[in-house]
Amino acid sequence: MIRDAIDNKIIELVKKNENISNSEISKILGIPEVEIAERIENFSDIRSKIILVDDEIDMLLPLKISLEAENYLVLGASNGFEAIELAKTNIPDLILLDVMMPEMDGYEVCGRLKKDPVTRNIPVIMLTAKDAVREKVKGLDIGADDYVTKPFNLNELKARIKSVLRRYRDQ
Amino acid sequence: MRIRSELIIFFLVISVLPLSAVVYISYNYSEGAIRDSVRATLSGATENTGNAIENWMDARKDDIRVISQSNIALESPKEQFKDYIKIFENEHQGVYREFYMLDPSGNITFSDIDRTGNEGQKSYFHEALKGNIYVSDVSLSESSDTPEIIITGPVRRNGETVGVLAARVSLENLYRIIEKIDIGKSGEVFVVNQDGDIIFHKNRSRILKENVYNNFAVKEVTYEKNGINEYVNYKGEKVLGSYYWLPLYRWGLIAEKNIDEAYVGVLILGKVMIAISLFAVMGVVFLALVISGNITRPIKSLEEGALGLLCGNFKPIPVTSVNEIGRLTEIFNSTASELLETRKKLEAKIERADKDLEKKNKELTSANEELKKLDELKSDFLSLVSHELKTPLSSMRISAEHLESEENIDNATRKELLSIIIRNIDRQTRLINDILDLSKIEAGKTELQLENVGIREIAGTSFENIKQIANKKNISIILDIPDNLSSVMADREKLIIVLNNLFENALKFTPGGGSITLCAAEDSKGIEVSMKDTGIGIEKEKLEKIFDKFYQVDSSSRRKTGGCGLGLSISSGIIRAHDSVIHVESEPGKGSTFSFKLKKG
Repeated sequence: MIRDAIDNKIIELVKKNENISNSEISKILGIPEVEIAERIENFSDIRSKIILVDDEIDMLLPLKISLEAENYLVLGASNGFEAIELAKTNIPDLILLDVMMPEMDGYEVCGRLKKDPVTRNIPVIMLTAKDAVREKVKGLDIGADDYVTKPFNLNELKARIKSVLRRYRDQ
Repeated sequence: MRIRSELIIFFLVISVLPLSAVVYISYNYSEGAIRDSVRATLSGATENTGNAIENWMDARKDDIRVISQSNIALESPKEQFKDYIKIFENEHQGVYREFYMLDPSGNITFSDIDRTGNEGQKSYFHEALKGNIYVSDVSLSESSDTPEIIITGPVRRNGETVGVLAARVSLENLYRIIEKIDIGKSGEVFVVNQDGDIIFHKNRSRILKENVYNNFAVKEVTYEKNGINEYVNYKGEKVLGSYYWLPLYRWGLIAEKNIDEAYVGVLILGKVMIAISLFAVMGVVFLALVISGNITRPIKSLEEGALGLLCGNFKPIPVTSVNEIGRLTEIFNSTASELLETRKKLEAKIERADKDLEKKNKELTSANEELKKLDELKSDFLSLVSHELKTPLSSMRISAEHLESEENIDNATRKELLSIIIRNIDRQTRLINDILDLSKIEAGKTELQLENVGIREIAGTSFENIKQIANKKNISIILDIPDNLSSVMADREKLIIVLNNLFENALKFTPGGGSITLCAAEDSKGIEVSMKDTGIGIEKEKLEKIFDKFYQVDSSSRRKTGGCGLGLSISSGIIRAHDSVIHVESEPGKGSTFSFKLKKG
């Protein structure tokens, strides 16, 4: 759960005056009231946010269902560009990244995320059908935090997600 | 050592040794002869001069004898005698300086120069008084300091000596005699008395002033010897000296000549000999050079030719002689040209081999690249296949696991998960079928169920299969098939697969708003089926590969357009099984046309 400057300002205002209304905050910060409401709702959502990237809708859907059932907030992206955009605007706690995608593959997405100072600290778990050792090494070299080979055991994936999140939270 | 130098040395040795022997011997002979001749000449001249001096002196003695014994001296009056003497002196032109008479006591009774005095003590007076004609020693005249002698003779009357006639005789005339001896520039001629005093010398100042008894010739001559010899004279100079004793007057005549001047002939001879020798040596060297040049030139050009052959720029050597060397040169020339010929052939062979090698290398390189591409293709294919196979499996597994583990799933979610599972089972099935079909086709095991098939019917079936997708993408499908078209002999199911695949491909690559036209046309040989789209087209260089299995024109489009690159391979295999081929024509940006021809039923 990462907060930006605006979030922090909202929190400060609420701390000063517990009864402040959304419209008052909107006036002070010059931001639409709707966004203030959304941000305040986000503060109360303490679930970990995961961005799930896969070009196969049939992978995206069941994973999203399973992870939401585990009480994660899951955002789906069906290609690399969308994934990077989503990661920059939402700053998730974790990214699950499919390797084999058209136009921009998972390695490139991961590389770009790890070069950008805004997204560099987001942990990345790669998902792929390729299970050759050199493919794993390539992913880890680029900066991926873990690697899961398709078809994977759902419980294993969940365990890895938890482990990575815990590791990052502790840091 | 070079042949030329060897030859020159050889010629010099065989010519110069005898030459120098001859020169040496003849020089020695000639030198002896010249020396003998020089000595003979000098001693002859000395002797002649000595004789001349003696003759001259004898003549003077005779003059005195005649005058003293004539009556003139005794009888004539003094004046008459005086006139007579004057005439006599004039006749002898300065030989006589004075005539005078002495009485037995030594008193001068008569003098043509009117001198008086007594000379009774003089030996010449006493000797004449004894009745002899006497010649005195040389003395210097008081008046002119020149050498003179006094000759006396007795004047007799009736056999009794009554007086003495004396004459002072100048020796100046002797110079004329002595000058006749050739003594060169530095030589000397002089006369000594028995004591070694110079009594006559060209240099008048030395007369009676010097004693040269130490001189070898003077010693010899005063021993009354005649001869000629080489010695060092009183001046310390080496001379050839000839000496001659005049016994009557007890004088020695000596002629000395500088030895180098004397033997100048020997020196000239030596020089001539040396010049001849040098000339001969030069001649020999020149001849040796010419001859050795003639011998070595062809050898030299052979050598150069051989060197040239070594370096690779051989030119035939001109044959300049008909001797052994000439023949050797000819042989060398022909051998060299054969060698060059062989070398050219070998070089050509090597070049050919090099070219072959290069060609093979290129082939290998391209084959290698081909292999690399194949390898890449293979690994592409493998990852594609594993992705294609594993993605549905993963999807199914996740869905199934979720269904299994979660207790409280709402109905909508459950339905969705189940439909995902079913969809992926279908996908998997289709892929497996494709792969199986292809393997059969590849193995040549396709069993065709040939029957009469109407293209129209098949096209209709195919159209039904893809109609929905076409509508969704807003692509119009046009079937341009004549009603009266003959049927074809084909496997119905397989032909449907082909048309399906072609339709699917066309749909994939044709943007919305485009069209796909399926035509069939009949001619005498069969029925041509063609499918034309208004899609993105295919680049020329990729046209050949599109029938390769797993090939996709754009690998990144694989996921976007779906399919795993097997459709065209399968279709091509099926048409091939019908003994035909799928042709493709395409223009990027405008569209592609796939066509094949089938036999009539």
